[in-house]
Amino acid sequence: MSTEAIPAEKSKRNYNALFGLTLLALLVLLWVILSLATSSFASANNISNLLRQGSMIAILAVGQTFVIITGGIDLSVGAVVGFATVIAAMLINAGIPVFLAILITLLVGVAIGLFHGFGIVKMGLPPFIITLATLTSLRGIGLLMTNGNSISINNDAFQEFSRNSFLGVPNLFWMVILVGIPAYVFLHHSRWGRYLFSVGSNAEASRLSGVNVQRTIYMAYTLSGLCAAFVGVLLASRIGIGNPTQAEGWELQAIASSVIGGTSLFGAVGSVHGPLLGAFILATINNGANLLNVNAFWQRIITGVLIIVIVYFDGLRRRGGK
Amino acid sequence: MTSTVQELHPHPVLEPGRTILELRGLEKRYPGTHALKPVNLAFKSGEIHAIVGENGAGKSTLIKLLTGVIPRTSGEVIWEGKPAALATPHEAMALGINAVHQEVVLCRHLTVAANMFLGEENSRFGILQQRAMVKEAQKIIDDLGFDLPAHVTLGDLTIGQQQLIAAARATVRGTKFLIFDEPTAYLTRKEADQLFTLIRRLKGEGVTIIYISHRMEEVFELADRVSVLRDGTLVGTRDIAETNDAELVKMMINRSIEQIYHKEHFTPGAAIIETKSLSGKGFENVSMTVRAGEIVGLYGLIGAGRSEFVTTVYGRHHKSAGQVFWEGKQVHINSEHNAIKLGMALAPESRRDQGLCLNLPVGLNLNLPIYKRISNNLLISAAQEKTQADRQIADLRIKTPTRHALASSLSGGNQQKIVIGKWLAHGAKLFIFDEPTVGVDVGTKAEIYRLFSALLSKGAGIILISSYLPEVYELADTLHVFRRGKLVATHGFRTADHEEILTQALAEKQEKPGGKI
Repeated sequence: MSTEAIPAEKSKRNYNALFGLTLLALLVLLWVILSLATSSFASANNISNLLRQGSMIAILAVGQTFVIITGGIDLSVGAVVGFATVIAAMLINAGIPVFLAILITLLVGVAIGLFHGFGIVKMGLPPFIITLATLTSLRGIGLLMTNGNSISINNDAFQEFSRNSFLGVPNLFWMVILVGIPAYVFLHHSRWGRYLFSVGSNAEASRLSGVNVQRTIYMAYTLSGLCAAFVGVLLASRIGIGNPTQAEGWELQAIASSVIGGTSLFGAVGSVHGPLLGAFILATINNGANLLNVNAFWQRIITGVLIIVIVYFDGLRRRGGK
Repeated sequence: MTSTVQELHPHPVLEPGRTILELRGLEKRYPGTHALKPVNLAFKSGEIHAIVGENGAGKSTLIKLLTGVIPRTSGEVIWEGKPAALATPHEAMALGINAVHQEVVLCRHLTVAANMFLGEENSRFGILQQRAMVKEAQKIIDDLGFDLPAHVTLGDLTIGQQQLIAAARATVRGTKFLIFDEPTAYLTRKEADQLFTLIRRLKGEGVTIIYISHRMEEVFELADRVSVLRDGTLVGTRDIAETNDAELVKMMINRSIEQIYHKEHFTPGAAIIETKSLSGKGFENVSMTVRAGEIVGLYGLIGAGRSEFVTTVYGRHHKSAGQVFWEGKQVHINSEHNAIKLGMALAPESRRDQGLCLNLPVGLNLNLPIYKRISNNLLISAAQEKTQADRQIADLRIKTPTRHALASSLSGGNQQKIVIGKWLAHGAKLFIFDEPTVGVDVGTKAEIYRLFSALLSKGAGIILISSYLPEVYELADTLHVFRRGKLVATHGFRTADHEEILTQALAEKQEKPGGKI
């Protein structure tokens, strides 16, 4: 019982910042290597492309991180993205004003998140199960609604958005900032953020300390659903169609980004900047591999190896710091 | 009976009084801490050797060194005349060194029998001989006089019963040297008696027992010799017949025993909370009042319904009947949130399971109940978050490098201070402390008791649950005795003697109180 040593522990915040910097260094290193190795990597065109590719996963990863911090998992986000493209496409084609169509789509994401919260809190289902169930059924519902066809969106302005840039930076990347800054403030500077951590660490202790655990869980899944629906809108804009089978496997990319970004799947450890960097590291690897003409099959293997290596070193450092 | 015992315990009966294990300058340093200064000590076979000391005195370090969990910095361990490296737990076990820990480290989802033979399963041609193992386990358990079934899932037993199984398990492995680390912390008196019988039997067979406990009574009841550790130094070893409570405590803390129970009396004010015939899961028909400035003690065995009663008052569970009045008005408390809003604070029984977010910083744990107060609609005030946490750390003298250190890195006593400290800034009127000093050393206990006085002086009321009679006896202004979910007796400050209170808590006549608890 008596633990003698109180090890001089690095402050958690410093540690987080340090890990963030290491990831940033890794990302920069990748960019430098690819710029030297290929002629096309450093072109404005390719960088814009890279930012677009990484943006959507990055936003998904932020929502996913909120959930993982509570000790849960959201497997449904890929399916929600696909479903949201269908909702957005149908609404826009039905002549509903674009901003209203977007708002409704986002509300659908919120509703899905609330449903997850309900399943976990009220029905006592494990997060893995309830979100797995939504993953498969949302794809099914989307296919029923579209009869298995893609819906082309007949609104050019809507599609223009994802192709355009503002101040030389792709609009899609601006969306990451639009999500990232409030998410950062929410997670690290608001009490709800603290509650996400405390629930993930010990739900019973949080409850006895007056934290509304149920509301906190609802909140995490709702935010994840909201982020996913938002990504669905962006994807619909980018590809110009609504198709429920889109974004296949994105939930795994989002989880991978989050984990590479230092989120612990056991809960109570995570940040906002980590998953963002994680997402862009993955995007860079894919982009670079394409430019280097690496077989697409290899890209998947590289991603897998990278996840193991980064998380292993992160774990080593965590244990070492203890 | 004796013959079966010998069959069941494969280790040879050891020659008593021979030195079995000797420490020569055994030492452990961590970066920045000298956890154990060079210790010279010899353990004899067939002795019960108690080790006492405050939290952080070096007891755990010593156990970890002996069981091969951590490597030593320098020094030698001589086992049966030969130096032993004790580099791995496996090596220690192979020699015959085993430990029974305070928290049960067994597989809760497996059966009692499966746990007893874990790692040494009885199998024929690769097929587990399950029935034979259950039978054998049952025989061992029956033989030890434990009234427990071997075929049930371990998790279905109480913590105390699991602890007995953990002890029984150690006896079937050729153990020559057995370490008990606070084994009675969660045991009822009856279970503790069963455990003591087991320990004495092992001693009779020549096994060396290291017995670590904060409870002096147990040390005097069981041990032959006692060693005292303070700040990583072995202060001394005494024959139990030649020492007493006061001397040991003085050796442990350099302070006298009267200074520990610090009791100030305040004139009780208005009633803060009153329950009328409150019933719920695990208790029924409990009526009591807590007034400002008084400590209401709830004494009873573990499982007597005290924790259930307070958690129901706190809104964690639903009541089935009765009323609760808060400052004279009837209230319906249906969530913890509700209770906290009224002005209640609960420091729960289990630090690890209910009290702390272990893998989060000390500061976050301390501020958890007051984040609403130290943030506006949107943001937390970083300055307030810092001052509040730092103030509690300073006031309670929580030993932590900074408020950013993880709660898990602190010692048990300091963790307990966080569990209590998080409510101080909250400004509650009624504090409920459920076993606040389990696994806490004497020095920290004294600090916690002094804190009680400070709270009372500010007009708060306290409900103190304890299974440790001297604690409630010396501190409670009103002492309620619980038995099997019912409030069976009420006493004033020191108006009944230990014997009477114990009898009321135990009730069953055959369950003789064996000495003071």
